[in-house]
Amino acid sequence: MKINAMPPCQAKCPIHMDVQGYVAAIARGDVQEADRIIRRTNPFPSVCGRICTRECESVCRRGKSVDEPVAIRALKRFASDSASVGSEVPGPETRFSEKVCIVGAGPAGLTAAHDLALMGYHVTVYESEDEPGGMLTRGIPRYRLPLDLVRSEVDRIRSLGVEIKTGYMLGRDISLQDLQKDFDAVFLGMGSEKSTCPECSGMELSGVWTAVEFLKDVSRGKKFNPGNKVIVIGGGHTAIDAARTCLRLGAKDVTIAYRRTIDEMPAGMDEVEDAREEGVRFEFLTAPEAFEGSGKVEKMRCVRMDLDKSCGGKGKLTCVEDSAFEMEADTIILATGYAPRTEAVQELCTEGGDRLEIKDAAGSTRTPGVFAGGDFVSGPTTVVQAIASGRKAADAVHRYLRGMDQSPEEQEKVLEDLDDDVARLVPEAGRQKPVCLNPGSRVHSFDEVEHVFTPEQARAEEARCLHCSLGAHVSQDCAVCLNCVLVCPYNVPRPGEEKAVIDMSQCQACGICAGQCPASAIDLRLESRTELRQNIRRVLEKAESSSHGEFNFAYVCDFSKFRPGDVQGENVYTINRPGLGRIDVYELLVPFEAGAREVLVSGCGEDDCKFKDCSLWTRRNVQKAARILESIGMDPERLKIVEG
Amino acid sequence: MIVAEVKPMAEIQDTIKKYSKVLISGCGSCVTVCLSGGAQQVEVLASSLRTAAKSQGQQLEVGQETQLRQCDPMFIEQIRDKAAGYEAILSMGCGAGVQTMAETLGNIPVYPALDTVFFGGADGQGGFMETCAACGQCILSRTGGICPVARCAKSLTDGPCGGAQAGNCEVSKDTRCAWQLIYVRLVRLGQVHLLKETTPPKARRVHPARLNRAE
Repeated sequence: MKINAMPPCQAKCPIHMDVQGYVAAIARGDVQEADRIIRRTNPFPSVCGRICTRECESVCRRGKSVDEPVAIRALKRFASDSASVGSEVPGPETRFSEKVCIVGAGPAGLTAAHDLALMGYHVTVYESEDEPGGMLTRGIPRYRLPLDLVRSEVDRIRSLGVEIKTGYMLGRDISLQDLQKDFDAVFLGMGSEKSTCPECSGMELSGVWTAVEFLKDVSRGKKFNPGNKVIVIGGGHTAIDAARTCLRLGAKDVTIAYRRTIDEMPAGMDEVEDAREEGVRFEFLTAPEAFEGSGKVEKMRCVRMDLDKSCGGKGKLTCVEDSAFEMEADTIILATGYAPRTEAVQELCTEGGDRLEIKDAAGSTRTPGVFAGGDFVSGPTTVVQAIASGRKAADAVHRYLRGMDQSPEEQEKVLEDLDDDVARLVPEAGRQKPVCLNPGSRVHSFDEVEHVFTPEQARAEEARCLHCSLGAHVSQDCAVCLNCVLVCPYNVPRPGEEKAVIDMSQCQACGICAGQCPASAIDLRLESRTELRQNIRRVLEKAESSSHGEFNFAYVCDFSKFRPGDVQGENVYTINRPGLGRIDVYELLVPFEAGAREVLVSGCGEDDCKFKDCSLWTRRNVQKAARILESIGMDPERLKIVEG
Repeated sequence: MIVAEVKPMAEIQDTIKKYSKVLISGCGSCVTVCLSGGAQQVEVLASSLRTAAKSQGQQLEVGQETQLRQCDPMFIEQIRDKAAGYEAILSMGCGAGVQTMAETLGNIPVYPALDTVFFGGADGQGGFMETCAACGQCILSRTGGICPVARCAKSLTDGPCGGAQAGNCEVSKDTRCAWQLIYVRLVRLGQVHLLKETTPPKARRVHPARLNRAE
């Protein structure tokens, strides 16, 4: 969908995912198409459908102005879980002779490999571990992200012709110089897995772990007994993952100690809540000083912190005097920060430093043809940031190999907020919540905690999308009758100097104005008149040719609880549409012209319709069309409206 | 704006019953604004006529077209070639549009699909009200901007008839008495003294009126 200003969900997403596109496809009941739309920009839909940090939802205009944000991540998971496995992966249209090497098979590297393979390059990926996937396979616990899903996504990437070689570590098994000789371009995406630990005595004690090593061992199936009491130090996603994993390994008393407060925790609030539900305790404003024990850790000595938030940023931390106290622990897990391992690429680092020197947004390094990205450059971020970096890297490598200039950084124009006067007219609708395993029972296994939406939940949730920027626009055919100004339930159209003006940022895409425009000058971006009419013609032609003149026809609203298959009866041909408000009188009559016996209009009814007054205008149009039928000697009862 | 409404379907069907190939022609100006003869109404009428013909086992091909302004020959010229392919034209323009089309095309019969009913303005969604009678001698300066010629059932120009009750016309209870409205308006404007002035008799209009603004 080509639009002038991006809806906030798409603009905020690091990969500018076409959220509206796949939500609309789900609304049409076409999960295959939804999955295809997602895969255009994201090779890991099932992953992001589960663990994405949902930046899109944080800016959703429904959430900001009406009630709660649309559950975009859960809808993505619904689409990806519902789409049939092994749906076709389109191959490249062109083949290039150049070979590209990717180092690191995490989400950044694999995304770059995926995109470059689709562009037509031969891609080889080197991975130091014995399985590709990076943090997806060895960092995220199985109760959040089942391993087979990651493997399935990796297999799809392999099926594009990408060769993945595991057990090759840069600096140990292969060198950058050799890769530069053997390949035309190199992308370094080795992640950020070197733990940075606080300066505490007792780090050498048995029972003190870094979170990365701990989670990696658990994911490999290593038997691990954390004992009864566990302290996890840190406030990010990994700290929460480590704490919840310890509960599943049998720990009875798990505490997360974080030196700041809950407000500064990098982990999402929903994760904190999930952990709390499972029994994880939190000690805020707590910092470790020493780990103590004889051979094996037995306790942590720590101090209380004071956080001065007045100085801006995350605030200034100071130790509270005489606040030292002790906490007993059988296991201590440090989740306090991660840095990239740059030892093998020292020639690309800043002088005397351990950070890669990156020359531009494309991830170009000092050496032409060598690019870097993902957590390896940025430090630990999120999976979707890594995917975005991989996509950017693929584009950069392609431009380098084809002798093109690197893409300039573009600032997307974002749709403005919904006006309060419009927002208060939008019917409220509660956000659907996926079913989760009971906290009491789920801590005894690594079974996935969150379930996928049921089809009914997905239907209710997709109907909550406000279709930002996909509303009505006015063509030059406008006769400036201003009927649109009078019929719009949200008071969006205004008289302009030459024609009526409909503010794209405020229009709710109900289509009522389009259905009532006497000049047929208003159309919807959500579904154009041309698309709709073609669809009607196609279905009517099919009905005429296969039913020998005896058929019924139905318009079914995408947002109602009905689906085309729900309309019972023989020889029923249906069209599902995003809203019925824009179905005009002609569109109600034209099936009769084709010979339909009955025409059914199926929607939600006034109380349940997502669009204000849509039901009212639909009924009016049906009444008008029925009067016309009567005037030409046909039974008006042949046109029916069903709501509810 | 000229306000028109679609003729009863039976009348339209009767008008074109002897033809098998008819072009419906809409107008993008006044009759679009009054929701009677724009592009949307054209396709509704076309579909209705085709459906009716099909249900009665008749052959009827209906084409459709909408000009920007049917009362100007230059716009009619734009469809001359297309019109030549039809036996008759059903105009969804006002009476002026029908005549301009008939005059311009000459050898193709042009029939009205609308009844032109009045000159008026918008009165809420889908509503229109007669406000001007095109009498040619405007007295609105003395009647507070409310025309008694168009809005008084008796077109009285020198005060009310006396039959109004509670401000409503004795001819139609749904209509406000124009002279009551004029009085209230003049009070609000501080111009009640204008009621003392009498309106000279209007010269009888000679039809057809003509106007030449080129000079």
